[in-house]
Amino acid sequence: MFSFFAPPSRRHVMTLHRIWDRPEARFLIVFVGFLGMSFTIVALNPVNDAIVLPYTAWIARVSGAALRVLGEPAAVTGCIVSSPRFAVTIYNGCNGLITSLILVAGVLAFPARWTAKLVGVVGGLVVIQILNLIRILTLFFIGIHFPNYFNNAHVYIWQSLIIIAGVALWVVWANWSAAGGEAPQ
Amino acid sequence: MTLMVGVIVWLLLRPAVDAAVAGLAQTLIRAFEHPRVTRLVEDGHRVEVHRSDFRSGSGIPTIALAENNFNLIVLLALYLALPRPFSRRQLERLLMGCCVLYLTQALNLVFHVKTLYATGLGEWSQQTYSNLARNVFGFGQYFTDLPGRFSFPFLIWLGFNWDLVMGMVRPDVEEKAHTSSKAKKTRS
Repeated sequence: MFSFFAPPSRRHVMTLHRIWDRPEARFLIVFVGFLGMSFTIVALNPVNDAIVLPYTAWIARVSGAALRVLGEPAAVTGCIVSSPRFAVTIYNGCNGLITSLILVAGVLAFPARWTAKLVGVVGGLVVIQILNLIRILTLFFIGIHFPNYFNNAHVYIWQSLIIIAGVALWVVWANWSAAGGEAPQ
Repeated sequence: MTLMVGVIVWLLLRPAVDAAVAGLAQTLIRAFEHPRVTRLVEDGHRVEVHRSDFRSGSGIPTIALAENNFNLIVLLALYLALPRPFSRRQLERLLMGCCVLYLTQALNLVFHVKTLYATGLGEWSQQTYSNLARNVFGFGQYFTDLPGRFSFPFLIWLGFNWDLVMGMVRPDVEEKAHTSSKAKKTRS
């Protein structure tokens, strides 16, 4: 009798092995697996309330402080950064978390030594946070001086730039991990 | 530089991309709908969600398309950053990549519309859709919105150009692999 739960045949196991042996397939499986798992975890309400929201509020506080350093009298309430001239709300998609998780997925999926992966993850997260801070500050000033262009700058330019920066960081890290003898033989 | 080219090309293609994404999404929704009542009308970079069973005079919900398909800019920019982007092979890969990205954009719009039906239409949503359906469509929208929209261009670019990207990031390893595969072929 046909059963969906029949044990996999030797041929199937060989096929799975063959797929896993292909580096691009292995990269894709680990990348998508990590991304699916991590984004499922951060979507859970308890995780969102305990980690994502406080983290986003912290990004807002850092952005407010940076704006004050630049001479803009910014005040921060939760995830809202406001000054007498403009205000922005920092949402989940604007806190750099997505790009960070994508970069971490790329670093973990790439064949390299664990020390190199650790450097990639920590260094990548720091650089992405700096870039995201620059993004928030420039968008705030665009909102003040060129409010008509705020939406375009926010959606098309900066979102694209952040993704491309994440990819560029990954390429630089992968290159470094190979050139520095960090790649597994 | 490649980003600017990507933005310009996307702005030029945008009306066609909007219409194509709305068209495929409508086909996918209607394929699983009985009776077939959904009609997606693209209007000024937004999609109007029409249902033939809506009461006349009821508001028409709309969904923005800019967030849905701006990631074409990223895919174009990444392709242009590779060596010899206008060679026949690279243009073929770009075309294949755009087709895959187009499918993900249509899927994203399908999830948006289904989530609207399952959660956004008040009592009708509550009665027509189960909690499981609400969660499935909501998660589909979330996953194709946040991680998907940002990572699909990278995955597609890498998937179709694995040899070129690996040549860029690990030239020595690629060289070794190339030499050993050549040697194997010679032996056989």
